[in-house]
Amino acid sequence: MSVRHLLARLWWYIREVAGENSYDHYVAHQRQHCRDGSPLTRREFEHLKTASPVRCC
Amino acid sequence: MSIFTPTTRARPGLRSIVIWTAVSIAGAVAWGIIALARGESISAIWLVVAALCSYAIAYRFYARFIARRVLKVDDRRATPAERLDNGIDYHVTDRRVLLGHHFAAIAGAGPLVGPVLAAQMGYLPGTIWIIVGVVFAGAVQDMVVMFLSMRRDGKSIGQMARDEIGRVGGVAALVAVFSIMIILLGVLALVVVNALAKSAWGTFSIAMTIPIALFMGFYLRVLRPGRVVETSVIGVGLLVFAIAAGGWVQDSSWAGAFTLKPETLVFCLVGYGFVASVLPVWMLLAPRDYLSTFMKIGTIALLAVGVLVTAPVLQNEAVTKFAFSGDGPVFAGTLFPFVFITITCGALSGFHALISSGTTPKMIQKESQVRLVGYGAMLMESFVAVMAIIAASLLDPGLYYAMNAPAGVVGATFQSAATAVTNMGFTVTPDTLQAASAAVGEPTLVSRTGGAPTLAVGISEIFSGFLGGAGLKAFWYHFAIMFEALFILTTVDAGTRVGRFMLQDMLGNIWKPIGRVSWLPGVWLTSAAVVGAWGYFLYTGVTNPLGGINQLFPLFAVANQLLAALALTVVTVILVRSGRLKWAWVTAIPLAWVAAVTMTASYQKIFSTDPKLGFFAQRQRFADALEQGKVLAPAKNLDQMQQVVTNSTVQLVLSVLFAVLIIIVIVDGARVCVQAVIRGRELPTTEVPFVESKILAPAGLFATADERRELIGAGGGRRDGD
Repeated sequence: MSVRHLLARLWWYIREVAGENSYDHYVAHQRQHCRDGSPLTRREFEHLKTASPVRCC
Repeated sequence: MSIFTPTTRARPGLRSIVIWTAVSIAGAVAWGIIALARGESISAIWLVVAALCSYAIAYRFYARFIARRVLKVDDRRATPAERLDNGIDYHVTDRRVLLGHHFAAIAGAGPLVGPVLAAQMGYLPGTIWIIVGVVFAGAVQDMVVMFLSMRRDGKSIGQMARDEIGRVGGVAALVAVFSIMIILLGVLALVVVNALAKSAWGTFSIAMTIPIALFMGFYLRVLRPGRVVETSVIGVGLLVFAIAAGGWVQDSSWAGAFTLKPETLVFCLVGYGFVASVLPVWMLLAPRDYLSTFMKIGTIALLAVGVLVTAPVLQNEAVTKFAFSGDGPVFAGTLFPFVFITITCGALSGFHALISSGTTPKMIQKESQVRLVGYGAMLMESFVAVMAIIAASLLDPGLYYAMNAPAGVVGATFQSAATAVTNMGFTVTPDTLQAASAAVGEPTLVSRTGGAPTLAVGISEIFSGFLGGAGLKAFWYHFAIMFEALFILTTVDAGTRVGRFMLQDMLGNIWKPIGRVSWLPGVWLTSAAVVGAWGYFLYTGVTNPLGGINQLFPLFAVANQLLAALALTVVTVILVRSGRLKWAWVTAIPLAWVAAVTMTASYQKIFSTDPKLGFFAQRQRFADALEQGKVLAPAKNLDQMQQVVTNSTVQLVLSVLFAVLIIIVIVDGARVCVQAVIRGRELPTTEVPFVESKILAPAGLFATADERRELIGAGGGRRDGD
């Protein structure tokens, strides 16, 4: 594996863990499954997602 | 052979035998060196090696055994994430990403603070419990809870208690979780107050996190929606600048405005907690959470590198005299049961059961991945605790006790602290204390209880050893304080919110409107109630003449372990009910141990005749003196006497309440188990029915050769990472 490939994987990982792609995943998921009605807007989606993170002691 | 049906046992290959023999030998050598070193100081590297080898063996063999034989994970079965995928809370998530999410959610201040306090008993008992405890109790609890919740579409531990044990157990569990949460928030906030009091540098840097978070929230919402990484990088940059700026503020005319008394800080925190919990999440809470997660993971990684590079030598004793005399200044009580209590989340944490049920199980791709996400994340948490006990143990013991004993014992000056610590049998001079304080840029380190400052001194020692030298010590100290305070405050924000939802939920059964999440007066009222409740414990902790951490930390720690007893009871009942009596020991043995530890600790906290240890005896002693108008040290006047009496009464009542609630749950659970065994067959299942999975994915961190072949054979499955 080249360094470049490794860096790309790391960047992918950071973005995924941070949830940066979650709206895109959601839209792709809605399209794929042809659900009724249009998908939520980014704002609506993020409002639902950020229901308050649970953090431990 | 399919990866989904691991029924035949393949003979282990030569390579695998060689590797695992080497790991076992390395682990055994490290444990041997730790255990046999007497009177000579050892390198922290041995603790790291012993921990990592033990984790590797436990993960490879014990966790696999539990997954296959006890839980019978079945990768042909679709997980809730696959069946109920809605792209929002239920959605299939890459196992490595989920491991990151889950670790960020369970890792908090507990594994950093607990081991620092437990270092009072020496590094050996704490280290043994952190490692053995996680392998046989903590990680097992997290994984089993996660699996059973996943088989029930992500039900919470409270719901499972109600469904599996019954109404009484369920209600007791609910009340226990709520009251334990309040104590937790109060004690964590106390750690922050103790770290910031009288420190202009610390207070300024932490205060700056509020405008930084607000800016990030605005940026993320309006300027660059969804750009989390970019926003966090900017935030961390601003944060580091704020830490450096704290040093300038401390030397400027602004210093006075940021040098606050503990009581003032309490009101700031309570006010902040209320506002943060009623503001929209995106504005303050979410950006702070990103910031603290990045800081947390970065600092922990840096600490691991630092320990390996600098290989510090431990100055603490292996086992101190306080382990047996039980009269240590940091907290009262002997090795058994209090080491197992004080370590808290690093070895076994009841709070993890709240996260392992509910959130994470809704995102798991394949059943077999609970081993990586549940067991694996908890091993990482335990490793954080090992590093915390290393950081605390490389401090000179004289400095450690001067920092961690209550002000009532060591006084407020370098002179009084040096005298008091010398009387305990350690050597320290006023000059050393003064030099240590000056080196980290603080006016004084005397009686900075709570664990955070001690850990920060240890971290600054390690970091300055390989990054920047002694000149940067003060910066690294405040960097560490910032890192701890930041995610404790995030826990406080998030916990207040969760507490509010729980309260709204409970009260909603009695009076409907208050249960509505969107009815503002209801939100304000319940938020104020939650903030008021933990604020009360915070205030009494700050003003307690006997020392807030000394008095409240054991209560919090007992509560956390009792919650673990509750979670372990629920999962043991489920194992027995589903006809797995043969394997119930896997959770029943940790349950028996944690029940023995917490019940002994509760008993001593309630009934011990030693007023330093038992709340009842303490209350009696001060109440009797008060009646005769006498003042007992460390109280200075009759008001403080009255305070001690009130605090001891409240703590006594809570100790009794926690113990009674958990006894109810355990007895009720035992009743269900006996019922199931007598009937001699399985009780009706509470699992959701089998649905065949259509996804292929590896079980562990890396795909095995077999798994890879199978993924390619099936047309690639999901190509991870691309």
